[in-house]
Amino acid sequence: MAFRIGIDVGGTFTDFQLMRARGRPAVHKELSTPADPSVAVMAGLAALAAAEAMPLTRFLGAVELIVHGTTVTTNAILTGNTARAGLLTTRGFRDALQMRRGVREQMYDNRYHPPEPLVPRRLRLPVTERVDAEGTVVTPLRAADVEQALERFRGEGVEAVAICFLHAHANSAHEEAAARIVRNRMPRAYLSVSSRVLPQVRFYERTSTTVLNAGVGPILSRYLANLTRRLAAAGFRRTLLVMQSNGGVAAPERVARLPAMTLLSGPAAAPAAGLACMAPRRERSFITVDMGGTSFDAALVLEGEPAVTTRGTVNRYALALPSMEINTIGAGGGSVAWIDEGGLLHMGPQSAGADPGPACYGRGGKEPTCTDANLVLGYLSAEYFAGGRMRLEARAAERAIREAVAAPLGMGVLEAAHGMFHVINVNMASAIREISIEKGYDPREFPLICAGGAGPVHGAYIAAELGIRRVIVPRDSPIFCASGMLRTDLKHDYVRSFARLLPERRAALPGVMALAREMEREAREALAAEGIARTHQRFRYSMDLRYLGQYHEVTVAVPRECIARSDWRAVRDRFHARHDRLYGYALREEATPVELLSIRLGALGVTAKPALARSPRAKTGARAALKAHRPVYLPERARFSKVPVYDGDRLTHGNRLAGPAIIESVNTSVFVPRGWRAQYDALDNCILSA
Amino acid sequence: MKRKTGKADPIQVAVLQRRLKSITGEMGLTLLRTTRSPILNEARDFVTGLYDAKGRMLEQTEYIPVLAFALQPACEHVIRFFGGDVHPGDVILHNDVFSGGNQNNDVAVFKPVFAGAKLVAWAACKGHQADIGGAVQGGYNPEAREVWQEALRIPAVKIVERGKLRRDVWNLIFANIRLRIVEEDIKAQIGGCAVGERGVKALVARFGRERLERLLESLFDRTETMVRKEIAAIPDGTYRGESHAYYDGVTEGTRMKINLAVTVKGDAITFDFSGSSPQTPGFVNAPYSATASALLLTFLMLIRPDIPHNAGLLRPIRIVNPEGSFLNARFPAATTFGNSITGPTSDAIFRAFAQALPKMVTAGWNRFLGFAVSGHDPRRGLPYVDILFLALKGGSGATSGADGYDHIGLINCAGGILAQDYEMFEIHDPHFLLKHEYLPDSAGAGRWRGGLGVETEFVMRGENVTGVAFGDGVEEEARAFGFFGGRPGSRNSITLAYPDGTRRSAKSKEIIRGIPAGTVFNQKAGGGGGYGDPFERPAERVLAEVRDGLLSIEAARADYGVAIDPATLALDRERTAGLRKR
Repeated sequence: MAFRIGIDVGGTFTDFQLMRARGRPAVHKELSTPADPSVAVMAGLAALAAAEAMPLTRFLGAVELIVHGTTVTTNAILTGNTARAGLLTTRGFRDALQMRRGVREQMYDNRYHPPEPLVPRRLRLPVTERVDAEGTVVTPLRAADVEQALERFRGEGVEAVAICFLHAHANSAHEEAAARIVRNRMPRAYLSVSSRVLPQVRFYERTSTTVLNAGVGPILSRYLANLTRRLAAAGFRRTLLVMQSNGGVAAPERVARLPAMTLLSGPAAAPAAGLACMAPRRERSFITVDMGGTSFDAALVLEGEPAVTTRGTVNRYALALPSMEINTIGAGGGSVAWIDEGGLLHMGPQSAGADPGPACYGRGGKEPTCTDANLVLGYLSAEYFAGGRMRLEARAAERAIREAVAAPLGMGVLEAAHGMFHVINVNMASAIREISIEKGYDPREFPLICAGGAGPVHGAYIAAELGIRRVIVPRDSPIFCASGMLRTDLKHDYVRSFARLLPERRAALPGVMALAREMEREAREALAAEGIARTHQRFRYSMDLRYLGQYHEVTVAVPRECIARSDWRAVRDRFHARHDRLYGYALREEATPVELLSIRLGALGVTAKPALARSPRAKTGARAALKAHRPVYLPERARFSKVPVYDGDRLTHGNRLAGPAIIESVNTSVFVPRGWRAQYDALDNCILSA
Repeated sequence: MKRKTGKADPIQVAVLQRRLKSITGEMGLTLLRTTRSPILNEARDFVTGLYDAKGRMLEQTEYIPVLAFALQPACEHVIRFFGGDVHPGDVILHNDVFSGGNQNNDVAVFKPVFAGAKLVAWAACKGHQADIGGAVQGGYNPEAREVWQEALRIPAVKIVERGKLRRDVWNLIFANIRLRIVEEDIKAQIGGCAVGERGVKALVARFGRERLERLLESLFDRTETMVRKEIAAIPDGTYRGESHAYYDGVTEGTRMKINLAVTVKGDAITFDFSGSSPQTPGFVNAPYSATASALLLTFLMLIRPDIPHNAGLLRPIRIVNPEGSFLNARFPAATTFGNSITGPTSDAIFRAFAQALPKMVTAGWNRFLGFAVSGHDPRRGLPYVDILFLALKGGSGATSGADGYDHIGLINCAGGILAQDYEMFEIHDPHFLLKHEYLPDSAGAGRWRGGLGVETEFVMRGENVTGVAFGDGVEEEARAFGFFGGRPGSRNSITLAYPDGTRRSAKSKEIIRGIPAGTVFNQKAGGGGGYGDPFERPAERVLAEVRDGLLSIEAARADYGVAIDPATLALDRERTAGLRKR
């Protein structure tokens, strides 16, 4: 018997999904242990073993794969507990990191300062050297400057050294020479070199990314060493893979070399989870949302490909490594309601978190939250929250809403609770608008996959705000990301800067194939080291292109043959089409020259996916799962009605029911509004349609 | 005087406000996607808004603050001018600074929105066009003496009538503009208005016209309540502030005075610019709307940042700005420099509020000094143009509890415009950078120091290069002022070192032609003003900046009274105490 386990470490809970050779996966949630996240990981594994009635050692001996999503790097940045890092940079430009290109996020707020730079100025030290935009050495590297800087680093207790020189994307020789000196003089220091981390034009973004990488390098290395040691001691012998921000996984050794690739990995498995849950309908384009306790993540997947961005941020620091484009806002079960001075209601972004949590948790929380409103409106059950493990206090919820919302607005508690429900739905719909309309897509053209513990109560109303008529609540909604982890491939991204005008005709671009082959060689080595046979390696090329004179480039997928055969017309056509889609116009007729900035390779190591457990058709109707009726507030009627409540764990393939209805499972609750229907598919996903 | 808040459902009002915000946001995204000029889709020099049938602001998304008040007066003018002659499918164009416009290059598109036969709203957007005719491409012409040397005037004109393009009018306008992309960008703005129209129609369908009107009135009232609460917290009285703009571009040594009296009475406020200098013969003049925008953006920094931008925000504010001064120039004055008078206007406002809102005001921001270059790029055999955003961004003024922002740039944009990335800059332009770093000792000293300025140096390798300097802040007295014992920031300068060994400094308004390849350009953008007594700044913070190389040991001693040993960079507490005793 072989097990596979997906483990997603979140802020509040660590989620587990256990896949067996056949049958339904097992699911487990464990409270996270932020001080040492591996404690919760090991505790959860012990619980899974117990549920299988196996001793931990024998259980782990039977586990062939663990895919692990970790937020240790993200938390290090959020809490400011990064490694002490120093930066070597080109003389004359030591402030780029702190300048942040001279912009601020809030235009009218003169106190909203950026976070402190990860490397203070006294540890950002200049080195005399210069390479120009074409990669030609203008001023040779002065080694004495490096030596002198390292002297200062050692005196200041620096544990990680970042190196970022101007135009190292075009010629990395100076960075490599400096790196050799660092290796010799500070052999224990963690080394982060811009031309290895991200050999791509744009000095500020490259510097910021290289520094982030240095700041979290020692932390992730320590954590992974600790985790692998614990797992090995407990009997685990097989493969451990780590989730990356690009939606793929990688071996721990590789991730330790490029730790910044885990910085935005928290929600990165959602698109893979979405693809799996859409498999019965063979739909490959959709929007996924995941609403947890404090935040709401939204992502758009097109033809099976999640949108990827190279303009990410972590705690307001720029991160240019490719990552899933996921829009996160402060909206969750714990979002707090408040009234502004003009008397208007707001929800979040502040959250009551897990401690003290919503007022109805009865742990001393006084502020009314989204969960409190959902309880008052009857969407959640006081008795059956978390499968009955936790009793909710409706009175505390009512009191909090009355005092903070209803009384100041001069309205009843119910009306106020419904207002809270409505406002947070509008906020979440806006977050979805940003990832669809902003990218040139109409949200009405996509089904909405709605996951997370809190999401399915709101799904239909979020959809209605956007004109979406179909909502899919995945069976594994409460552990959505963990469920996606076992369905991801190994993925490594490479980039080489190559600034040229794209030739008009089939003229060769000397050197471009050499760069492509160089990236392929690197990718093959990395994938081979991870045990991926050549037959399972897939390479995808893309180019960063723009119209001459533009400031921003567009990444366009390009088949390898186009590059090999110098078919620039095909490349240009793809660029026009992509530009048109994104920005609503293309300069086809104008014959505006197209400029190439860099060439990218995405290398996949395709892994075997566990088969999806399909349920047989239900033998009984939905009525068999009917538990009770209870009063639920129906917004369309603005009053309570007795509404049937179903046991979600007993509903399965082929069951149908009509709204209004509530479907309760252990870790989530689905609200089916009036006029909507629910139907269960072969994977036991609940499909809501208007 | 407090209005009574209507009976409208506060939840629906909250939801409506978010929906309006998302419509103007979506209009903005449409412009970012569809415009061609980098001034629009990179520098984001545009604004989108919705106005009701009377021209009252419903919601607005300004990407840079100086456009905060750029649409509303023009909207009122359009309504007055056309009266009842407005029909479904009409589109109206406007830029005229003598009938509500704020800058010649900023062209507005207005589209009326009808519910059935009834006019319910206006969707509008305005963006800075790459060219607007006149004597100089791009519009910045320090040699202009009247509006016609600056721009083509477009008073309110219908370019689409009942859905039909008026080709004759269209051609007349674009026959007077150099660049074709302007035509495309105006089409993009019409598209943005169509998005706004669609959004408002959906709101009418959802709420019904009458209920929508009721909700809007309630939204205005609630916003007004928020603003009045902020104003009521300011002690009653008349507060005076003064500042100067320097060099009118015609006669060296000239100074133009801004004379401001702010009167707070209960929950209402009046800004009175009477007594400011008369208009100048050159282009250093502001149209009414530009001054109003400058005022509004500064006021928004003094109150809660989360107040919605609608008519309710404007109700408690009265502006007195008599015609004929350089803050409200009379026809046919040249006015392209108008937006750049925002710096001096903000200075006067902050000074006026110094006693009333000491914790909210900032010290002076570094004044904007820009340099636009155009020439021939020998690498590509093509012409090139650029505005050196990276070089012009100085420091902002400090405020109570916070240092100024380093390298943030002019207050007009308040940190909304990106500085170029070095590597992209060298790929884009025939320029080879030598330096771009914080300028040590540039920040005005204070308990809270001003933002740091920046020094930029590069070799110009273009051929046939012309540079246009436009701005302020080069004179000693034009430095960003300090507050409550804080010191001024450093001044601006631009120096060209020619290959033959000669050097020259640029005036603050000047066209420099024939700059040879190999010239080294050096600009120092100054720091912001400090706030509070520098001797009260914790010595450790002063020491940290000395160690970071941002402050010299001499300045630490002279400005902050902090003694630091040059050999060990250690703090000498005893001598510091001695120095600070005085």
